[in-house]
Amino acid sequence: MVVAILLTIGLYAAIGAAFGILFAWRGVDRIDPAAHGASWTFRLLILPGVIALWPLLMMRWRGAARTRDSS
Amino acid sequence: MSVGYVTVQWNRHKRVYDVCIAIGISLYLVVFIVVGKLLYTGRNAISDPILGMRALATCAFLLLHIILCIGPLARLDRRFLPLLYNRRHLGVATFLIALAHAALAIGFYHGFGSVNPLVSLLSSNTNFASLSAFPYQILGASALLIMFLMAATSHDFWLRNLGAPAWKRLHMLVYVAYALLIMHVALGILQTQRSPWLAALVGAGVVTVAALHIVAGARECRHDERGWQRAPAGGGCWVDVGAVDEIADQCGATVTIGGRERIALFRHNGRVSAATNVCAHQGGPLGEGRIIDGCITCPWHGWQYRPADGRSPPPFTEKINTYRVRIVGRRVQVDPTALPPGTAVEPARVEEA
Repeated sequence: MVVAILLTIGLYAAIGAAFGILFAWRGVDRIDPAAHGASWTFRLLILPGVIALWPLLMMRWRGAARTRDSS
Repeated sequence: MSVGYVTVQWNRHKRVYDVCIAIGISLYLVVFIVVGKLLYTGRNAISDPILGMRALATCAFLLLHIILCIGPLARLDRRFLPLLYNRRHLGVATFLIALAHAALAIGFYHGFGSVNPLVSLLSSNTNFASLSAFPYQILGASALLIMFLMAATSHDFWLRNLGAPAWKRLHMLVYVAYALLIMHVALGILQTQRSPWLAALVGAGVVTVAALHIVAGARECRHDERGWQRAPAGGGCWVDVGAVDEIADQCGATVTIGGRERIALFRHNGRVSAATNVCAHQGGPLGEGRIIDGCITCPWHGWQYRPADGRSPPPFTEKINTYRVRIVGRRVQVDPTALPPGTAVEPARVEEA
């Protein structure tokens, strides 16, 4: 049971880390204009939060992409 | 404010604040370890890892108390406002110290077996029905998880992208973390170290935090109750909110009308303006701020808005609700209908008495 919980958390964090790198590199500029041209230290700073909340940011990124495609 | 994100919005005041935090934490840890070494010698000597663990734990616990007390103290006495200004860095520092405590404890107590330390932490003690042998580590780990979420989302990027209400709710979880930590301490160290002064110290901390919140909350309630008594006069929309002389020049005042959102009044250069009391940044009480450089300045983090239209000065783009205001005799009257954020309103001119 404990191992299963820890594996689930590990898997969630691993997906979050992979998504987080992509998001910090490209996605953050798409969902928030204030992040245009932001430094890499800023992108690194938000990375732990992205790993924790990646499903939310994935939805935001998809929403921003759809809005851009339809306009 | 919001033109473009920077890694850390340092200015001279925040640097001084952070240097004070760093010096204070370092001094505490050094003094704790040195005093621990001097007090406990021979058979009573405490090993270095345990002493380090306790130094970090008590430091984080103390810092959390300070963080929780800053809010109500700043509401009760404006002299505490500078402590509120950079509280986020204090919170992140607290999380890092708590993380160091957890890493040391897991490594020391669970790191030398064949079982994964995290698996060992969560499975080695399952006495959930026992008070004296309760697996208190899980309570601490849960509090640490909340503190991680708060530290990880402390940048303004998160405030903007989660939205102020959700961000605020997330950060209000600090009270859940505090409750978990109190139980972590009560079921952990207070069970193994049956020291009355230690229990008294923890109790004093809880009472201080609770008392300050109750006193500050009662003061806010009294303020709001006065607001319930205010109503439009003669069937019109204007509500008398007090004498103009009650507002000091270049300062703000807060009024509540009919239990609705609070309104902040500002007197500046012989005029009076009204805006929402809620700062667009973190919901800070604008009415407790001042006029600095011709702008309403939030007492929490210094966000600024022009009194005439509720807009932040360029290049910033924040906007807050404004209200129509007029002066009849020496009385200030406000139309309690909030105008859309950033709406220009002619300030009421104060005739010199």
